[in-house]
Parts: sequence; C-alpha cells; structure tokens
Amino acid sequence: MAVKVLIVDDEKEFASTLAERLNIRGFDAAAVYSGQEALSLIRARDIPDVVLLDLKMPVMGGIETLAAIKEFDPAIEVIMLTGHGADCSTNDIQKGRIFGHIMKPSNVNEITEKITKAAAKRSAGGKQER
Amino acid sequence: MKKIIDWFLRVVVLGQDELQSPLTVPKRYMLFRRTLLLVMTSIFLIPLTITSVLSYYQYKALIEKKETTNLLWNAENTKQSIETLIEELQSSLILATNIYGFERLTDQEELNKLFQLLKAQYPGIVDLGIINNDGIQQTYVGPYNLKGKKYSNREFFQTLFVRKTHIDAVAMGYRNVPHFSVAVSFPTSENGNVGILRTSIDAATLSQYVVTTNKGLADDIFLVSYQGRHLLQTPSRYYGNVLDLYPVDLLPSRNKVTISEEASEGGPPMLKAMAYLEGTPWVLVLVKQGFLYGKDWSDFEKQLFFIFFMSLILVLWIIQHTRNLLVRRIHDSDEKREAMFIEMEHTSKLAAVGRLATGVAHEINNPLAIINEKTGLIKDLLKFSDDFKHKEKITGLIDGTTDAVERCKVITHRLLGFARRMDVALEPINIYNLIKEVWGFLKEEALYRGIILHMEQGESLPPVESDRGQLQQIFLNLINNALDAIEKEGIVSILIKPRDQDYLQIDIVDNGPGMPQEVTAQIFEPFFTTKTDGKIRGTGLGLSITYGLVKKLGGDILVKSILGTGTTFTLLLPLKYQMHRRSTDGSESPDS
Repeated sequence: MAVKVLIVDDEKEFASTLAERLNIRGFDAAAVYSGQEALSLIRARDIPDVVLLDLKMPVMGGIETLAAIKEFDPAIEVIMLTGHGADCSTNDIQKGRIFGHIMKPSNVNEITEKITKAAAKRSAGGKQER
Repeated sequence: MKKIIDWFLRVVVLGQDELQSPLTVPKRYMLFRRTLLLVMTSIFLIPLTITSVLSYYQYKALIEKKETTNLLWNAENTKQSIETLIEELQSSLILATNIYGFERLTDQEELNKLFQLLKAQYPGIVDLGIINNDGIQQTYVGPYNLKGKKYSNREFFQTLFVRKTHIDAVAMGYRNVPHFSVAVSFPTSENGNVGILRTSIDAATLSQYVVTTNKGLADDIFLVSYQGRHLLQTPSRYYGNVLDLYPVDLLPSRNKVTISEEASEGGPPMLKAMAYLEGTPWVLVLVKQGFLYGKDWSDFEKQLFFIFFMSLILVLWIIQHTRNLLVRRIHDSDEKREAMFIEMEHTSKLAAVGRLATGVAHEINNPLAIINEKTGLIKDLLKFSDDFKHKEKITGLIDGTTDAVERCKVITHRLLGFARRMDVALEPINIYNLIKEVWGFLKEEALYRGIILHMEQGESLPPVESDRGQLQQIFLNLINNALDAIEKEGIVSILIKPRDQDYLQIDIVDNGPGMPQEVTAQIFEPFFTTKTDGKIRGTGLGLSITYGLVKKLGGDILVKSILGTGTTFTLLLPLKYQMHRRSTDGSESPDS
C-alpha cells in the first residue's frame, strides 16, 4: 500500500506541486494549506503515515500543529519543513517528536528518501505496538 | 556654613551632574584625586589631631595633679616635723620648770647646769634666762650680757600671763643676730606671781632644720611670720634672706595646706604650698617651680610629636597609595565600561544586520522552493511524456533553472546560518564543515588577493557541542584577521586536532609579517588595533569580541607570533559546553 503523506504549508503553490510530484513517485500525497485544515482532516480519521509540516505558518504555526497532531496520534511521523536547520531545535528530534527536518528548497529525492524512512519507522513501531 | 556645604558638595561629591559636565577625562580624574586626598586626609587627620590634643591636655593635667599631690604631701610632712620639734622644745622647758622650780632657776649655778643639759639635746640653743614677775631678766646664761634687761613691755611677756607658752618670731633683738625665742611661764609662789623660762635659738639652726626636713623635694622652702609685717624667717631662694620682706600678701587657710599657682616673671607658673605651723608665728611656704619643664613632660611632648608626625607621614603615604590604586581601578573600569558599550553597540549592529539577512533569506526561500518544485514537476512530467520537438532542449533549460535555484539555496542557507543569536543555542557541530562554510564567505576575496587556504584535520574528530552562530563569528573574525595580516599572496593554514579528551584545538596560522611581543601582549584588549592606515582602519574590537565569544563558549584563545614568520592563533573549544556539562551526567552523546 502506498505511503499516505500529508503536506501542510501555507504556500499553496509549493504544497500542491510537491504533492503532485510525490504522487508521480507512487506516494498517496495530499496538500492542505494551514494547520487547522490538517487537524480537521486527521480528526476526520483521514490519518496519514507521514506529515510534512511547514514551520512558519500564519495563525497556527508548525510547532503548535505538531503538538496537536502528536496529541491526537503520537504514531504519526512528522517531518518539519524549515528555512534552515537551526530553526528546528535538535531537542525536538532527540525527544522523538519529529522524525527529521528538510530545508526548503530541497531536492525531491531527499524528500522521498526521508518519507520512506519515516514510513518504515512508523510501520515498525505500529507492529511493535500490536 | 552653607558656603562650606556647597563647596563640599561641589568638590567632594562626584554625582550625576559631575559625570555629565563637559569635563575632559583627565581633568575629571584630577578632580577625583584631589577630592579623595581631601576626604581621606580629613578622615585620618581629624581623629588623629583630636586624640593628640586630648592626650596632650590630659597628660598635662595628670602631671599637674601629680606635682600638686607631691607638694601637698611634702608640705604636710615638713609642717609636722617642725611642729614636733617646737613642741618637744616647749615640753622640755616646761618639764625643767616643774623639776627645778623658780627658786632653783634663779640660782646661776643651777641655770648653768640646765643650760648644759638643754644644749646637749638642742645644739641650736644660744642662751637661757629667767624673767621674773616684773619683767626683769633675773638670771641669764649665754654669750650676751642680758642680766637685768627689762622685758615688761614686750609682747611675749604680756602673752605669757595668759598662755603657758610663747614663741617669738625671728628678730635681731638686743643681740643683733637673727634669732627666735621660746618661752614658757610657770607659777613662782602661791600669790599668783609667775616666772618665765626663755631660751633663744639661732635662726640659722631653724633654717638648717627646715632645709634638711625638705630633703630638696621642693625648689624653695622657707618660713614667713604672719603677724605684723610678713618677714622671712629662714632664707628663701627666690625672696631673699632672713628678715627680708616677703612680698606676697596671700595667707593660707587655717588647719590645712593651701596650694596655689602663682605666675613667675618670664617663666612657667610656680606651684606654691602654704600652711600655718600650729603654736608658732610662722607660715611654712614650699615652692615648686617650672613643673612643666620636668623630664616626664618633655619626654612626653617629644614622644607625642614624634608619634603625631610619624602617623601623619604614614597616613599621607597610605592615602597616596590607596588613592592611586583607586583612581587606577576606576580608570580601568571606566575604560572597560566604555569598551563594553561600544562592543554592545557593535554586537547589536551585527545582530540587526543578521536579522535583516535572515528575514530576506526566509522571504526568498519560499518563492525559491516554489520555483524548485514547479521546475521539478515540469521535469517529472517531461520524463514521463513522449518525445516531442524541443523535449531535450527544455530538459536542459529546466536543469539550468534547477542549478540556479540550487545556487540561490546555497546563498540563503548560508545567510540563515548566520542568524545571530545572543543566547547560546547548543547543537553538535562539525568544526571542519563550519570552517568550510565560513571560508565560503571569504574565498572570493582570498582568491582575489592570492591567498590559499590549507585545511588539515586529525582523524575521527569529535563534534563540538556549541553555538553555531557564535562559532561562525569567531572563525570569521580569526580568518579575516589572518587575511588582513597577509595582505597579498600567502597561505592560511587551519589545523584541527583533539587537544585532549575535553578540548578540540584549532590552529589558524598565517605566513604574514608577524607581530612583536608588545603587540601580542595586548592584542585581545578592546580598542587595540594595528590596522591604523586610513583604508582599513580597525575598530580594535574584532579580537576582543572574538575573545569574549570564545570565553562565553567555555573555550580559550592564545596567540603566538614570530616577526617575519607569521602568527598562530590557537583556539581551544570544549567538546561539551561548560554550563551544559554541569547539568548532565556526561553520558549523553553529543552525536545525533
């Protein structure tokens, strides 16, 4: 089954284009343009395997959205999209809240690689849970 | 008073007004030095002077009291001694009249015998005689022919009808030799007639006795008659000989020794003790002169002045040193404060530039990402579509766009990497990569100036847990410095190796002209600069800021320079941030 990816970014052009590119590469990717949208989707039981979450968004920021997603389902793997690695505190990675981060703009191969790894981790974790 | 307070406030208090006043800096320190001298000298000297003056007067009073007491004691002793002598003489005479009786005493032979007996006991006795009820000298033993002399109109004769004893003051009398006489009256028969036994004593004997009794304790000791004119009864050192007039009217009070101070001509005051001698017409006078000229007093005066002046010199010396130290410290701290202000200004300026750069980079990043994705999608679509006329060319164009985006990305990421933080944000850092990044900023200029970077790293370098932004600034400053030192054509070598298990050592070596020892000694001091030529005039803060940052990150920086060979900056960075290390047990791996 294809890995279900949700891209959350207020830059619509970016999010939708990236979703399309991921779909071409065999992922089941969808794009939403705010944290709230992402949450309502997840709460409606449309649960993705991996979320690509932009750090800087208006109204509901990346960190806030991350907290809400993890609260709803800690098993969902989140990859942060940042302007720079330093924006994303290493503490978050160390604490396991996020799987990793990707600096924008980025190479699509890097993104797919990271998503695959995150999905692998999620399914491995899920098995352990069961 | 108000004027004094105003002056004090103006000169002594260095308040806000003073700091804001347009005084030149050296003048302000001069004023401060003067104020310190004034205040500190007053603080030391006022109590010192008060203590000295107090002890001066207290000791003076003590010496005066001691002198007075001594004189009083002396006078009392002498008084008692003379009184006892006179009483004894009178008792002997009374005893003689009781034993002999009037009849026997009128016998010349018997009187001779008595005279010999008395003379044996009192060698000063000159003569002895009996005067009858009519005042006629009836019998007489002595060197003068006084037999038959009439005394009925003399004072002592009248007195002896009332009292049993009488002493005459010293007089010349019939004999023309100063003497005094002691007489006792006694009944001759039952019809109430009296006889008088009278003896004369040489005044010289009295003088000698008085002087002997005193044992030289007083400067002058003498007797004065107090009835009628005050005549000296014994010779005085200051007032003249026997029977000279004693010029002082003052008489003592009854029954006790009177002490008085009397001015003397051109000298210090004299201390005088006076006392009536009971049963005699005499007043005993003791004089102690110049008590303030005694050895005790002059020793004390010398010691006091010596201590005072030594203290003064010591205090002035201490004040001078303390003052210099204080002013120097304040001067230093003022300088540091000023440097800190400028450094802060500099840092905040850098921070503002950093924030601006970060903001711009962030803003550009998003459209860049869109371009990246869109071109990426075009490429994807091209890849999965059939061949058409310009497919290959379009693919090439897309690749060109992607490359341009990639270049932009490198720039924005580099800018974002320099997002300056005031706080230390820790992360594991590969120093080699970080220096490479920093070099990226400088390599264009280095290339232009013909300077080559040579980097070397030891095997398996551990990452350093530190603040990326601050490390970047440190290396930027140090490498920039090396480039400035070389000016044109040279090599900057950077060697990274572990120092020990706690520190990483980074040597930044340039083959510039090097620096003399005086320069390396103060190179980290604020405002110290060697870049004095107009074009690249330095602020003198670069290395001092670097030093501050290194210290803040728990590291150290050293400099070694050889003239003509080059300079090496050695940077020591802790593998684990000092503050952080304290709060962990050290098991946490900095690698992630």
